Parts: sequence; structure tokens; C-alpha cells
Amino acid sequence: MEIIFAGFGGQGVLTSGLITAEMALSAGKNVTWMPAYGPSMRGGKAYSVVKFSDGVIGGPDYDTPDVVVAMNGPSLEFADCLKDGGLLIVNTDAVDTVPDYNGRIDVVEVACTTLAESVKNIKAANIVSIGAIIKARQIFDIEDAKVALKDYFVSHGKGKFAEANEAALMAGFECVK
Amino acid sequence: MKELWKGNHAIAEAAMRAGCMFYAGYPITPQTEVGEYLSGRMPELGRKFIQAENEMAACYMLQGAGSTGMRCMTSSSGPGFALKQEAIGYLCSNWIPTVFVNVIRWGPGLGSLDSAQTDYFQATRGGGNGDYRLPVFAPNSIQETIDLMYEAWDMAEKYRNPVMILSEAALGQMMEAVEFPEFKEGPKQSEMDWVWDGVGDRHSFNHGTPLYVDKPRRVREKIETMQENEQRWESYLVEDADYVCVAYGLPSRTTREAVDQLRAEGIKVGLIRPIMVWPFPFKAFAEIKKDVKGIISIETTDAGQVVEDVALATKKMVDGNVPVYGLYTAQKVVRPSEAVAFIKRVIAGEEKEVF
Repeated sequence: MEIIFAGFGGQGVLTSGLITAEMALSAGKNVTWMPAYGPSMRGGKAYSVVKFSDGVIGGPDYDTPDVVVAMNGPSLEFADCLKDGGLLIVNTDAVDTVPDYNGRIDVVEVACTTLAESVKNIKAANIVSIGAIIKARQIFDIEDAKVALKDYFVSHGKGKFAEANEAALMAGFECVK
Repeated sequence: MKELWKGNHAIAEAAMRAGCMFYAGYPITPQTEVGEYLSGRMPELGRKFIQAENEMAACYMLQGAGSTGMRCMTSSSGPGFALKQEAIGYLCSNWIPTVFVNVIRWGPGLGSLDSAQTDYFQATRGGGNGDYRLPVFAPNSIQETIDLMYEAWDMAEKYRNPVMILSEAALGQMMEAVEFPEFKEGPKQSEMDWVWDGVGDRHSFNHGTPLYVDKPRRVREKIETMQENEQRWESYLVEDADYVCVAYGLPSRTTREAVDQLRAEGIKVGLIRPIMVWPFPFKAFAEIKKDVKGIISIETTDAGQVVEDVALATKKMVDGNVPVYGLYTAQKVVRPSEAVAFIKRVIAGEEKEVF
């Protein structure tokens, strides 16, 4: 499984990759996570790549991903390298028009920021996108994913946000039909 | 239990486990996390961390620490690592065991923060003056980085020579699940027959024959011994391969994916992965079959560096004038699809050999 989380710096695309990597590790998979970003902390292009597998993992960078999360318009460029039948999650709060891919890939539109706001956790738009992937592709058991999400924040000294983050994960999970 | 660790942090923690007591260095992306981690970790363990005023000063601090037998290291990247070359020469000249970590970024000069292998010549040929060699470990995963760091000082002390860990930007920045070995300690000062500890007759450096006596012969013998004993590699599907790829570090992982894809199509391709790039694993080439059609170096350089060692090893170890090709992907680790396409062009006779 190869996933790209792309957006601009500050949207949490490195963190959403890292959380997904922790979820994969707790599911017993081999995992790589690789960040890519420019010199600026905010703004500018940023992405992270998560790969997980039962077998040996090759390079950490993307080649033909299974899933792309586009948190903003420019990130849609990654959709072109998706596998046929791959999944594109589009954050419609920051993308005006979603191109027509003529059925080559599955497109799921998620209002990540709006959903994060609806559970009073506006910073967690990135976590909403993880919930959407889990529902659309069944990559993890959602209950196990909740535990891994909580563990991640507790181990980073941010346990007090655990409940709010779980709400964001579930908002993303439930919005996908 | 395995945990996700960033490559640079893993280098630093592995050094602690291996008994490193002294670090001096100066920050530079993409290896700054090595020093950042150690600045907190070393005081916690009662060890010495110094952010030096510059890269050169850091190396001469190592000369001091290393000459007392203390396990010590420095790390850098790009132009920062270039500044260490003069000191590496002195450390080799004075036979002082030390560990250098280079998390390569694309160069020359300021270069960029992209992952690359463009310091291959600097590492394997030496950027300082004089005739010297360093054993150079070239891991391709974070676990292997840890394992090789853990034995780096053992080798440095065995040969009384600096050794190098050659990482690359992406390997320093990425995360993988790893396990660390237990803490160990280096040999005691009293057990070493060459250290400068200021006690009794051990107040001078180099007990026994002074280093300057018959030096060229002793240097040559040391280099030849290392070449004979320390070649290290991993072979993957080489025995029956019509085409053999050679790649180290991260490109070896994507090249292996390419090999698997080509094998699935019935094309017999193999991979030699140097785990040490100096001494280069000439012995690995002995396994290549007699009627092999071509050897292909795949590397993250601009104009080809590893390919020269590949050509030398091919000339020495493989019969006939087997063509050697090179795929150089500069600032990007080769993608499996790119490697597959290149190898198919080689097979179709559409690529010109380098040697």
C-alpha cells in the first residue's frame, strides 16, 4: 500500500502520514514514511509518503501510489501517477474544481476542514482524511486505528487531544458512503 | 518491540549504544537531527557533546578525544563534510580511530537538500591530501544503519583508522520500524597499546615502533589487509543473471524492485548491493556467470561515480570484455519503473556502454 498525503506546509500532511505509518506498524506491517518539503515552514509544497506491506519495502518515495490525499489544488498533480483504480481523496474546502478523471480512478470528495470544524477540532483536517481512507479502502480495522491514533498523541505528550482527534477520525470515516 | 525511528535519530542513538563517549559537530541540513538528538541524550548519559565553532574544529576535537582511546564521532553533510577532509587526512596519518557520518546531500558547493550519492568519490577516494583509505559503510535501511553504527568503532579500533558511515538525505529523513541493540562499552584505555593517557610510560602516543618508521609499507599493508578482509555485499539473483545491476544505499532498494518486476516478465536480472563501498566488493563479481551480457551501475549521481568501481571490478573478476552501463538519476532516487525502462533499453541495444 502506497499513500501520498499532499498539501501546503502547515496543513499537517507530514503528520497525517506519520499517524498512518503508526497505524500500519501497530497492525504488524513493515512500514516506511518519508517527508518532502521545501525550506519554508508554512506555505510551499509539502508531502509525505507512507508505504506498508507484509513483505520487503523498496524505496521510500512514491512511484505508482494506491491512494493520494490532495489537501489543496496544486496537490492534484499527484493524481496523475495513481494506479488505475486508485483512490483520490480531495479536500473540497481548499480545492475549487475537481477534474474529471473519466473513471480511471475513484474520487472521493471530503470537506476536511468543515468536518474538522463540525467536531470542534479545526486543526484536525488532516486526521479527517485518514478516516476517509480507512472507510474507502478498509486498510485498517477502525477500532485498532483509534487506539493507534490515541497512542500517537499520548506518546507525543498530547494525550489531552485524544478525544477530539478521534472525533475527527470518525467524522472522516463516516462521511464516506 | 519495534518502533518508528527517523534515520538521523537512529544514527545518534546507535552511536550511544555502541559506546560513543564524545561528539563534536556543526549543524547542517539534512543531518542536523543527529547533533540535535545527541545534545540532549549525551548529557543524560554523562557523555560529552560539543557544538563546535565549525566543522574543522570538530574534527580536531576528535583528534584529541580519539588519541586517548575514547570512542568519538562527528557528522555533517554537503559543504560541511567537505570541510572535514583535511582533518580526515591527519587522523589517517596519525592512525586515530574515529567515526565520521556523512548524510549526503546533492552537490557540489551549496548544492541542494535533495538526496544523492554525489560524495561517493570523496568517501572512497578521499578528499584530503595523501594516500589513505577509509572503510566506508553504506546502509540501505534504518535498521542496517543502526547495525553498522554499532560495529563502526570496532572496525576503527581494529585498524586504527577512521571509518565512515555513508547515509543519504532521504535515509536520514525517513522513518522505519527498528530495534536497537543493548548498550556496550569500548575497550578500556589500559587495554590499548597505543593511547595517550599520561600515565607511567603511557604518557606518549604510540608505544612500540613510532608511526614514521617504514610508514609507506605499513600503510600499504594496512590498506591491503582491509581490502582483503572487509569486502561486504548482498547478492540477489546474481548466479543465473544475464544482466547484473550494482547499486548501494536507497537506489539498491528500488533497483531490487525493478529486478523483481523484470524477473516476473522472465528477464534474468540480478543485483549486487555493496554494503561497504570501500573496500569495494570485488569478490561479489566472482559469482557472475561467464556469458553475462552486461553490468549496470544505478546511482544517484550526475555523471557517474560508482560506475568506475563497477568497471574495475568487472575487468578484474569477469572474463571477456563485458560492457558496463550507467544510470545516473542525480537528485532523485531511481524509481523502479525508471530502472526497468533503462534495463530494457540496455537489452534492446539502445544504451551506449560507459566502459
